[in-house]
Amino acid sequence: MDIPVLLMRLFQGGTGNLAAYLAAHVLLCLLPAFYIAGAMTALIPKDTVTRFLGRNTPKFISYPAAALAGSVLAVCSCTIVPLFAGIYKKGAGIGPAITFLFFAPAANILALVYTGGVIGPDLAFARLFLSLAFGIGIGLIMALIFRKDDQVHDKSTDAMFAAQNAQGMKKAALAFLLVLVILLLAGTLKISLLTDAYAQTSLPISGVAEFQAGLDRLVPYDASKGEEGVSVQGVVLITLLALIGVTSWKGFENIHEGFNRWAGIALGLTALTLAVASLGVQATPAGLLVSVPGKFIAVLLALGILFWLGRYHLSEDELRDFLWESWRFVKQIFPLLVAGVFLVGVIRVLIRPEWIQTLAGSNTILGNMAGVLFGVFMYFPTLVEVPIAKMFLSLGMHRGPLLAYLMADPELSLQSILIISAIIGRKKTWTYVGWVALFSTLAGLIYGAWVDGTSLWLLSLYLGAFLACLATVLYLVNKRVQRKGVLPQTASTD
Amino acid sequence: MLTIKVLGPGCANCKRLEQITSKIVSDLAVEAEIIKVTNYNDIMAYPILSTPGLVINEQVVSSGRIPSMAEVTTWITNALS
Repeated sequence: MDIPVLLMRLFQGGTGNLAAYLAAHVLLCLLPAFYIAGAMTALIPKDTVTRFLGRNTPKFISYPAAALAGSVLAVCSCTIVPLFAGIYKKGAGIGPAITFLFFAPAANILALVYTGGVIGPDLAFARLFLSLAFGIGIGLIMALIFRKDDQVHDKSTDAMFAAQNAQGMKKAALAFLLVLVILLLAGTLKISLLTDAYAQTSLPISGVAEFQAGLDRLVPYDASKGEEGVSVQGVVLITLLALIGVTSWKGFENIHEGFNRWAGIALGLTALTLAVASLGVQATPAGLLVSVPGKFIAVLLALGILFWLGRYHLSEDELRDFLWESWRFVKQIFPLLVAGVFLVGVIRVLIRPEWIQTLAGSNTILGNMAGVLFGVFMYFPTLVEVPIAKMFLSLGMHRGPLLAYLMADPELSLQSILIISAIIGRKKTWTYVGWVALFSTLAGLIYGAWVDGTSLWLLSLYLGAFLACLATVLYLVNKRVQRKGVLPQTASTD
Repeated sequence: MLTIKVLGPGCANCKRLEQITSKIVSDLAVEAEIIKVTNYNDIMAYPILSTPGLVINEQVVSSGRIPSMAEVTTWITNALS
């Protein structure tokens, strides 16, 4: 094949992938997810959650609280490390701090929603559940290994968590957040109540069928290779998305100086886009066939409630913070995602499915380790790991190694290892890295075995037994330490 | 003369807070020195859990969020009187 043709094919692969992604996945799943992330950051007071992380809190509260904090407070790796530093330096034990560090990138709302929407809810649940079990596991192990250091550390930190007059969350803010979640679920859940069409109408626009045929030629559609086409509706949505981008820039970039008309337009366009995306549209020779499924009605209802809550029950400060945080996430993550998805489309043309199938086509230890290694040495920015995983899946990777990769990639990258070691020291960091690599491999193996048909009960039994062993060892060691009394103070804090 | 410190490792919100603060300082025509604190250990020397933090004359006035321009204006005028 000569070079120009190859380049053309690569470019076509990239743009096709990008267009299909924007039209199919971004709207009903990512758009609300960005707003949810913004609302969580802006409306949940941080100290409501972090006050449970103090060293005087019992373990069975502080570890789950650390995981919860991870999933609601930190939405991208950029916020995780500063928060981790804060939590650790201000007196949380190393255990809960590590649980937080592990759980946040793997199971925050954006990552889970995106994984569920693009790859499948089963993998999203596996990611959530196994991250929770292993996040707490690794936290406990780290607390056990470094318990001497931890006692010294405890004495040197101030009691930030002890005396706090943390106020709870406002009811209106909580309701707002819940309705946002409902909006997301209404748009993405595939249950018959939401997907059944309740009304249908035909718009007599001539030429849509030809337009669709042209689109199919431009973006080749081949479900067996994991490629997705672009529909007429998709084109409308991509246009709307571009308009939202421009108006948001004008409206939200300087929102701290006051609301302007552009902000209103951007919000209106967002609502319109969500409504259009939830309609069912088909191009036929007679014109556009538009059906109104249940989710359209649900999305409209949710949007109405959001408007009412935002207009009358949230203060201007809260609204401004909410919009700014959402916009900040979009600005920070979306360009990377677009570039990442484009590159994935290009790479997909180059990789031969046989390579992936030989290396990680079945659920073996080697395959899972390959997934983890790839995750550690490749650095992909927040969320880009998901389209990459999708590509591997369509090229024939087994779902087990895929999960191993998905667990390891956001946790470990050379960059984050360096930053973390600046905070907790090199020895602790590499211990942490080792455990994460081990546990990710294990997670992949377990999940892969489940996909291959091993009974769920047997697997939970193994997992439960493993965690119980860990807990027992920790408990015994703890008791011993207590019986011995105060430890010598010579332990290094490095 | 005020000493205003913006605590933050250089994240988007810290930059925004610095912009807001310097705008208010020039709007009010206050004599103030704005210092960016980016080192983690220096940041954590203040009793805050998350960045960005705003410190006026060694008093932490806000942390973990971007305060509104009105709030910052009040804090600065209060610190002056």
